[in-house]
Amino acid sequence: MNKVLGNKKYIAIFVLPAFVFYLIFVLFPIGYNVYLSFFRTNLMGNSAFIGITNYINLYNDQFFVMAFKNNIFLMIGSLLAHLPLALFFANALFQKIKGSKFFQYVFFLPTVICGVAVGMMFNFVYNSEFGIVNKILDIINLGNLKMAWLNDEKTVMYALIFVIMWRFVGYHMVIQLAAMKSIPESLYESASLEGATNWQQFRGITFPLIRHILKIDAILIITGSIKYYDLVAVMTKGGPNHASEVMSTYMFYQGFRTMKFGYASAIGIILLVLCLLVIWGVNYFAKTEDYEY
Amino acid sequence: MKKNKTSIGTKLTFIILIIFSILCIYPIIWLLLNSFKDNSEIFTNPWGLPKVISFVNYERAIVVGNVGINFLNSVFITVVSVFVAVLLSCMASYGIVRMKWRMSRLLYFLFLIGMSIPSYSAIVPLFNMFNKMGIINKYPAIIIPHIAFALPISIFILSGFFSSILKEMEEAAIIDGCSIIGVFFRIIIPISISSIVTVTVINFINIWNDLLFPQIFLSDINMMPLPVGLTAFSDLYSTDYSGMIAAVIFTIIPTIVAYIFLHNKIMDGMTAGAVKG
Repeated sequence: MNKVLGNKKYIAIFVLPAFVFYLIFVLFPIGYNVYLSFFRTNLMGNSAFIGITNYINLYNDQFFVMAFKNNIFLMIGSLLAHLPLALFFANALFQKIKGSKFFQYVFFLPTVICGVAVGMMFNFVYNSEFGIVNKILDIINLGNLKMAWLNDEKTVMYALIFVIMWRFVGYHMVIQLAAMKSIPESLYESASLEGATNWQQFRGITFPLIRHILKIDAILIITGSIKYYDLVAVMTKGGPNHASEVMSTYMFYQGFRTMKFGYASAIGIILLVLCLLVIWGVNYFAKTEDYEY
Repeated sequence: MKKNKTSIGTKLTFIILIIFSILCIYPIIWLLLNSFKDNSEIFTNPWGLPKVISFVNYERAIVVGNVGINFLNSVFITVVSVFVAVLLSCMASYGIVRMKWRMSRLLYFLFLIGMSIPSYSAIVPLFNMFNKMGIINKYPAIIIPHIAFALPISIFILSGFFSSILKEMEEAAIIDGCSIIGVFFRIIIPISISSIVTVTVINFINIWNDLLFPQIFLSDINMMPLPVGLTAFSDLYSTDYSGMIAAVIFTIIPTIVAYIFLHNKIMDGMTAGAVKG
């Protein structure tokens, strides 16, 4: 048995295709990207080593700084929108409320829809002439609040946050609900025998026992918000006047529109480092004990 | 008294849940209804049912807006990428979980790292590599990165399942003289069908919906998949709202159909990274 499963030839046949693929097209490009970020290059032969100048220029680039701030805004907004709301929904469905399966399927549905389609859909929703938002404002007699939501520097980020919330609340709810369902029923039984209210059960049992999943979920929300691309690309293209630029759209613009590939590589590295920092940071600052049950 | 109080809370929660479900579904229904209206009816009658059900918008989107070609491209790119990604992941997961060799843990760890690598930190080098290989604006330029970035999550899910399979069946088959490749295709694959479906459908959704890779690695509009086709459509015919709505419906129908039939697997698969991590 061990002889068969330890056969080097077969191990190579099974593992090498995927690994070689992964090595060449994922791991190698990361290293290559670090290298490129030290160059000024258009990838067509015109390139010069400039050390960390790209990173210094990014620091002084007002549009990149704006994009970075917008990412922070999206991060805080998504954390506020996703964690409490998803937790509220998950806990409600966990109480076996009527139709909880139905709600779960419906809330998760936006997650599977193409981001481009979602973006275009909400372009219609926010449309200043026939969009739902302005129509509703008309109906409830607040017509003077009507505006072109995506074309106004002041409202565009809030309009985006709402769409992100619409799209991903169900996703995070399902993650948290799965964690709740893994808690043994007996804990709740003995708690209700002791007369604990729903709220006490949530605070005393549910919340502490799903804390480790909330931590992972927070990582997903934060790294996700660093990587938002398709919605912004479709709904605003970073506009108006870069007001909704995020790092990913700015990287695309610098690399594939103005051909400053070294500069774009540096943004790519910053994105990578931020994602890894978040994973490390959340794990470090939100230490949770593993419960045995 | 106390009972009454909780039931008010429950009712309130129930109402909030209903409102949010309407919020989730209504935009899609609104789109579907408006896809049958013509451009002037959208302005005069944005809320109601269409006066007549007509498919002219769909026809225009397919013929004029290129959406038909984009759809076929999407199907081709997605089918090839998903098939290769799932096959490679199955083989690698089996090799990592079941075969006996020293570096298997390290390799598994390397694949897992990929789950937290944003694709942005690889696209410029990939663009340069593909350019030098002369495959920019050819199908491999889009299929290769789709496969490569699908491997980590697929291997994660499949390894988890393979390691739960009992060893006895494999042992019996090997003692009976079955080769390891025979064991893999005749025993492991058939009993893992449920996990393989999960991995297939989440990769299908991710690849079908992707905008970034085709935007970068393809430039010919006739080779583009739907998401890029949609953006091109809205740039070219920015006032043809009804045609655009029909094009959006085209894009979301396949994933919604998959979701209706496989929602449990999709939810399990898409949240596996968090829940089983």
